[in-house]
Amino acid sequence: MDPMKVMLVDDEERFLSTTRKLLEKKGIPVVTAAGGAEALEMLRVENVHVVILDVKMPGMDGIATLREIKRRFPLIEVIMLTGHGTIESAVEGLKSGATDYLTKPADVDELIEKAEDAFEKRKRLEDKIRVAQARKSMQSAQQILEETKES
Amino acid sequence: MNDEHRYRSLRRLVLACMILVPAVPFIAALVIGYSHFTSALETGTIASMKRIVADHRHMLETFLDERRADLELIAASYTFEELAWPRSIQEVFRDLQTGSNAFVDLGVFNEAGVHMAYFGPYQLTGKVYREAAWFQEVMKRGWYVSDIFLGYRNVPHFVIAVVGEDESGRWVLRATVDSNLFNDLVKKVRIGRTGEAYIVNRNGLFQTERRSGGELMRSDPGMAEHVRRHPGIRTFIDKDPQGVEHLYATTWLEEKDWMLVVRQEKADAFKALRTTVYLVVLILLAGGTGIVLTAFVLTSRIVRRMERMDVEKDRLGEQLIRATRLAELGEMSAGFAHEINNPLQIIKSEQALIDTILDELRERGDLPASPDLEELRDSMEQISLQIERCSKITQAILKFGRESEPVTKDIDLLSFIPEVASMVEKKASVHGITLEEELEPNLPRIHGDPAQLQQVLLNLFNNAVDAVIARHGALGGIILVGARSRGDGQVAVTVQDNGCGISPDDLDKVFSPFFTTKPVGKGTGLGLSVCYGIVNSMGGTMEVDSEPGKGTTFTIILPAMSAPAGKAGTTVRDDGQGCEALSAA
Repeated sequence: MDPMKVMLVDDEERFLSTTRKLLEKKGIPVVTAAGGAEALEMLRVENVHVVILDVKMPGMDGIATLREIKRRFPLIEVIMLTGHGTIESAVEGLKSGATDYLTKPADVDELIEKAEDAFEKRKRLEDKIRVAQARKSMQSAQQILEETKES
Repeated sequence: MNDEHRYRSLRRLVLACMILVPAVPFIAALVIGYSHFTSALETGTIASMKRIVADHRHMLETFLDERRADLELIAASYTFEELAWPRSIQEVFRDLQTGSNAFVDLGVFNEAGVHMAYFGPYQLTGKVYREAAWFQEVMKRGWYVSDIFLGYRNVPHFVIAVVGEDESGRWVLRATVDSNLFNDLVKKVRIGRTGEAYIVNRNGLFQTERRSGGELMRSDPGMAEHVRRHPGIRTFIDKDPQGVEHLYATTWLEEKDWMLVVRQEKADAFKALRTTVYLVVLILLAGGTGIVLTAFVLTSRIVRRMERMDVEKDRLGEQLIRATRLAELGEMSAGFAHEINNPLQIIKSEQALIDTILDELRERGDLPASPDLEELRDSMEQISLQIERCSKITQAILKFGRESEPVTKDIDLLSFIPEVASMVEKKASVHGITLEEELEPNLPRIHGDPAQLQQVLLNLFNNAVDAVIARHGALGGIILVGARSRGDGQVAVTVQDNGCGISPDDLDKVFSPFFTTKPVGKGTGLGLSVCYGIVNSMGGTMEVDSEPGKGTTFTIILPAMSAPAGKAGTTVRDDGQGCEALSAA
């Protein structure tokens, strides 16, 4: 499987660029988006595993973006980035399928830790899917054999 | 003060109303009743006097008529010749006396006025009366009744004379009548203590004795102006010569110039009235006193109650203003803190980047170790620390401004408070502080978020500990936590300390956000305002009472759960410095 790829979504340009540099220094590939719509657009072409999503953004806000991501790309793990004043929306995010949340000002190490946890989760999920799919294909092969036998 | 003036005029108004409203009908009833009673009494008294006068006049007239009729019968039955003989007149007189023993003598006169025959105690035979007034009048009118005179044996008498007629011509029959009989008749009239009756002639001379003084044939000087013939019955009030007012009823006999007088002292006649006056005055005084006293008592009660209500109203108003202000501040500062978190995040990222780059440079050997580098690293650490500090502040602010859904349940303060107290016990004992509890048994439960209430109590405890340490160091501090029912559906929890106290200037501000007396970096100044917000959200209020150098008492007043008792109050008293210790803790 590919190494973890992270997408940062925030309306603060400087936060995006600095954090990107920090993550890249740790060897984590990063893409950034300045808003919800842009993020969704990019997710179509980029194979992102974990999205760090700011809750409070102009235009399409974090929660709406989260729901849309989860609808279109159910396997992508989302970590909400929130100010304390929006803890409630973080909880709402968790209910809507976010994996975890971070409170501002967040430590980069903490951010990476949570992203990796999410990535692990994603990997486990993908493994499960793979096993299930393999089992299913095996099952169907058996079924075909049995059906042929009967006929 | 203005308030005092207002209450004074209010008191006056209420008092006036409370006295006047019952007093007006009360006095009106007394006055109307009294005047009706007076006029009824007067009418009744006068009516009875009139009746007595009328009755007695009738009796007197009947008496006179009867005596005249006696004589007229004799005049008609006998001739002059028959009567002129002394023996026969004696017989006739005897007959007459059997009819009425009032007759004293009897005489016969011829037309020329010569006394022809007489029977009686005097020797009058032969006297000539031709020129006498009574003789002339009887010859003219046919009959005559004299006024009273004192005759034989000094006994009052009057004479009746009638004219007889036969073939020998006109003659006169005259009899003397003892007036004692009708004197008694008149004298026996008695009304009340002083009521009496008497007769005066047209000259105002007494014809009967008057019980209250008045001999026969004398005149009553006070009566002179009233002795004038008038028809029917006349009533009037006049003073007698002694100046005593009397009620009079007078009437004139029809065929004789005698006036029958019935009189009574006014004071006597209206004695009942005086009793009534006393009674009325008594009722007026007693009732009036009662009304005034009641009015005073009720008024002061009403005004006191209004004062209390006004004070309560003002207090509530102040609380409302403070709560509103705190809510606005909370909202504002929450937005503020949230906005600060964004730049803070960037600073933190930048700082992390700088650190990373510095580390890389050092690893690559591009940055040899030097004092400058050390200083740089120290500076970076400081930045990191200050970011942490900012972050804590914004966290606290957000907590204060946040309106999260509390998880409420019934809280039994009797077990809850010791639980919380045990959390600070160790810290307290380290500083030599005695932690005392004073919990009222059977305290009603309260309803709220235990975690929040714990936060409030811990904050107050911590403040108390700080305040006590500030004053006593490590010896002699006392923190007393109490809980009692206030009896008005509320419970009061108090936290009381003997610490350094809060200055009056600061006392107003302790619940305001960012107010702290602690050294920079030690407190955010949000602890107590957060407490206030929490207690408010539980439907309660917080109060503080402090004296610098003596200690501080914080009181939390919370609504009690069950019906009968009131709010519950928990007081945490501390010395009064840093109420914001909570947020910093």
